[in-house]
Amino acid sequence: MADAESRSDLLAGTLDLLILKALAAEPLHGLGVSRRIAQVTRGEFDVKAGSLFPALQKLEQEGWLSSEWGRSETNRRAKYYSLTKAGRRHLAGKTRRWNRIAAAIRLALQAT
Amino acid sequence: MMPRRPPTLSSVWRHFFRREAEERDFAEEIEAHVELLAEERVAAGMSEAEARRAARIEVGGAEQVREAVRDVRPGRRLEQLVQDLRYAARGLRRSPTFTAAAILTLALGIGANGAIFSVLDAVLLRPLPYDDPSRLVAVWTEFRSSGQPRVPASGHEMAEIGRRSRSLAAVAGIWVGGGAVTGAGEPEQVRVGNVTANFLSVLGTHAQEGRIFRAGEEGASAPALVVISDGLWRRRFGADPALVGRSLRLDGRLHTVVGVLPRGFEMIYARDASVPAEIDVWRPFRDDVARRPRDLGFLRMIGRLRPGASVAAASSELDAIAASLRREFREYATPGLALSIEPLRRDAVREARPILLALFGAVGMVTLIACANVANLLLARATRREREIALRAALGATRGRIARQLLTESLLLALLGGAASLAVAAGALRALLALRPAGLARIQSAGLSFPVIAFTFAVTAAVGLLSGLAPVSAALGRALASRFQARGSAAASSRAQRTLVLAEVALGFLLVTGAGLLVRTFVGLLHADPGFRSAGVLTFQVGLSGSAYPDDASTKRLFRRLLERVEAIPGVDSAGAVSHLPLDDYPNWYDYYWREGAPESERNAQMADHRAILPGYFRSAGIALLAGRDVSLNDDSDRPNVIVVDESLARRTWPGRSALGKRLEVVFIHEGSFDPTVAEVVGVVRHVRDRSLAEDGRGQVYVPYLQSAREKLAFTVRTSAPKGEGGNPEALARPVREAVASLDRDLAVAKLRTLDSYVAAARQSTRFTAAVAAALAGVALLLAFVGIYGVVACSVAARTGEIGVRMALGGSPARILWLVVGQTLKTTAAGLAAGLAAALALTGLIARMLYGIGPRDPATLAVSAAVLAAAGLLASLLPARRAMRVYPTDALRHDA
Repeated sequence: MADAESRSDLLAGTLDLLILKALAAEPLHGLGVSRRIAQVTRGEFDVKAGSLFPALQKLEQEGWLSSEWGRSETNRRAKYYSLTKAGRRHLAGKTRRWNRIAAAIRLALQAT
Repeated sequence: MMPRRPPTLSSVWRHFFRREAEERDFAEEIEAHVELLAEERVAAGMSEAEARRAARIEVGGAEQVREAVRDVRPGRRLEQLVQDLRYAARGLRRSPTFTAAAILTLALGIGANGAIFSVLDAVLLRPLPYDDPSRLVAVWTEFRSSGQPRVPASGHEMAEIGRRSRSLAAVAGIWVGGGAVTGAGEPEQVRVGNVTANFLSVLGTHAQEGRIFRAGEEGASAPALVVISDGLWRRRFGADPALVGRSLRLDGRLHTVVGVLPRGFEMIYARDASVPAEIDVWRPFRDDVARRPRDLGFLRMIGRLRPGASVAAASSELDAIAASLRREFREYATPGLALSIEPLRRDAVREARPILLALFGAVGMVTLIACANVANLLLARATRREREIALRAALGATRGRIARQLLTESLLLALLGGAASLAVAAGALRALLALRPAGLARIQSAGLSFPVIAFTFAVTAAVGLLSGLAPVSAALGRALASRFQARGSAAASSRAQRTLVLAEVALGFLLVTGAGLLVRTFVGLLHADPGFRSAGVLTFQVGLSGSAYPDDASTKRLFRRLLERVEAIPGVDSAGAVSHLPLDDYPNWYDYYWREGAPESERNAQMADHRAILPGYFRSAGIALLAGRDVSLNDDSDRPNVIVVDESLARRTWPGRSALGKRLEVVFIHEGSFDPTVAEVVGVVRHVRDRSLAEDGRGQVYVPYLQSAREKLAFTVRTSAPKGEGGNPEALARPVREAVASLDRDLAVAKLRTLDSYVAAARQSTRFTAAVAAALAGVALLLAFVGIYGVVACSVAARTGEIGVRMALGGSPARILWLVVGQTLKTTAAGLAAGLAAALALTGLIARMLYGIGPRDPATLAVSAAVLAAAGLLASLLPARRAMRVYPTDALRHDA
């Protein structure tokens, strides 16, 4: 239990970012977001339903995503999420912040 | 969890009320997700059915996912609270015995508290019902030389204080006597408040009809005015609004009624000051009281602080004023005059406060015991729900969630108990008021007011939290550590239960001891010898004043004839009269006395209560004549002055020798003037406990009425009765009234009551305290009994299997019994020890309320210990004995 918790803590912070990024190009349904993230991170992050949906819900509440029901390529009913304008702005800001932090950590880890 | 913005009100509203729609929407989304996943697998080659199963497994428990989403929604807390409440309510409904027991315990524990608090609120906490009451003060005189703390002031003193003080904006004084209202209807003896003209305005009250007195409306040249009470207005004048401006005949003189005081108005003043709460007629002094003799103290003073002045500043100012008065006037130097000041709201309740605070402490202990009982009940219940809680934890409920749920349950219980407690409080309050405690002004207005309800609510919440903590901590510790053990170790909860039992026994011991002391005090007072025999004696009072009886000669004549008439009534054994009935609330008459020819140092040192009597008083009141004789009708103004003294004065003044024939200088009243007079002692009587049943008080001097007349006498009439019984004094009431009426139609007979009723009234406050304390102790004992019973029953139930095994293996019943109850008995013993220590430390707090018994009385402590031990023993053995009758096989089969 302890292991899963710490992993999901880490994931929770960055999950928002990954989801927003995944939707930057085009609207996707839940599974689509999960697959896009897996694809883009080369399989490093496999987001399960248990983490995905709460995050989508929260992002929608904050007003960075909007959703509507639509049809998939295979003509199945699914709920599609897309970025709002505020969402795009938030994504840009968060990306900048994240890059700064990552660079700093890289420096720290390189030092002897 | 993820950091989030606090939910807006609208989003909470939306999500709370549209929950159903949102839930459905989300369920659809999950389903769609599963479908898509299955689609992928089918594309990868799985069969439809397998693919769907695999998809579901991957998505995981749909419920869990839904939970996760729900957790994120705003209004989640509110949802959870509602859910917790519903769940708690269901749980409570499912175990009705537990719920009933808990609610009943809470209702008793919180209700009793509410009742006592409402009395406290009415008497001690509420501000006085006058204008700007925080600035009202009581000013008292003290005689340092003879050690008398609260002495009425002279008119001159009051005038000087008013003149010299900067901190006091105004000072006013009152002396309450009697008066006769005649005219339309029966003559009626009423309480008359003789006041300075500014008294009612200093007090800060207003008339409901007309007005109160204005400045300058006192003294010889002022018109004769009165203000009357609402009670008198209603019963004698039918609440006639046109009464204002008309006149009323008081003591034979016409007075104009200028105003009526509001309904429910009470004169709130210290009980020992002979200022009763209900005064029928208010009348300004007819002379300039500042000109009265400086050594004649009679005024009870109130004052109003100037805005911005503090009591402390006024107090030091009064010290300075007293010092200059001592310097300037011999009459103040001799007794060592000092002045003290106290806020009126404190001074007025100085007798009631310690009693009420003690009762409040006691009821607080009862509430704690109730709390402990409920906590025990909750603990026992939590033990039974161990598995359920462990399951919950395994399913992912966090500790916080479980704790919140358990606390919600105990809060719901407390809330229900709190609501029930209001009913108990109302009932208990009615019972309290029925005890009619004397001297607690404003107690009649005690009720479930807003502060009381708020207080009850606060206590309820506190109780809920307190009782809830124990099972919560125990349950969490156990459930999360030892998941699925069939029988939890129960170590933590049983330790908590033991602590609670110990606390209950200790508190119960304290309460039973306190109640025992107070009950024994009351019994002691029942047997206290007041110095007179009150059984079978009727008393009544007659006041003579006004134009019909303008001088001493006329009053003496009337009272002589009245005494003859009363003695002649058939059924009367003896009759007499006295100026001050024992245990009455008429202002006391006490003065200095000394031996004739005593040196200066011995004068103005000793004080004695002075009483004017007619012959027959001692015999009819049952006061034993120890030496010499009673006064007689021959001891009148033409003859030498004589007095009768009581044994304590005789012993103090002439130790070891007979007092008969000795001469004292005491005070006689001649035409209203208090004159020091030398008189010879012709008799010695038993000392009478005149002011209080519990204290001896000063020595007494009896002067013959015919040599020292006053306007009012109280007659004592003893019925002749068969030997051994005190006849029925009430039967003499009509003949007495007729005898008075036959002498003068306009004379009012007041306070026609038995002497016994005065004695009973003197015990009233002790009776109240003892009764309430006993009731609280009874409740505490009952609760403690139930608590211990519950704990042992619980323990027996938990160990049924173990008992079965032991019995099957041939264990002796006695040993098994000890196994079950041993721990509880040891805890009870420890509780007794703790209670004893607490009692030794704390009972000193009520020492002043006790009579004839010390706060650490060993007999009372021993009896309390025995009672608690017996209760504990019984409460342990009863449930245990039932366990002994269990068949071993049944016990083993029983899955505890």
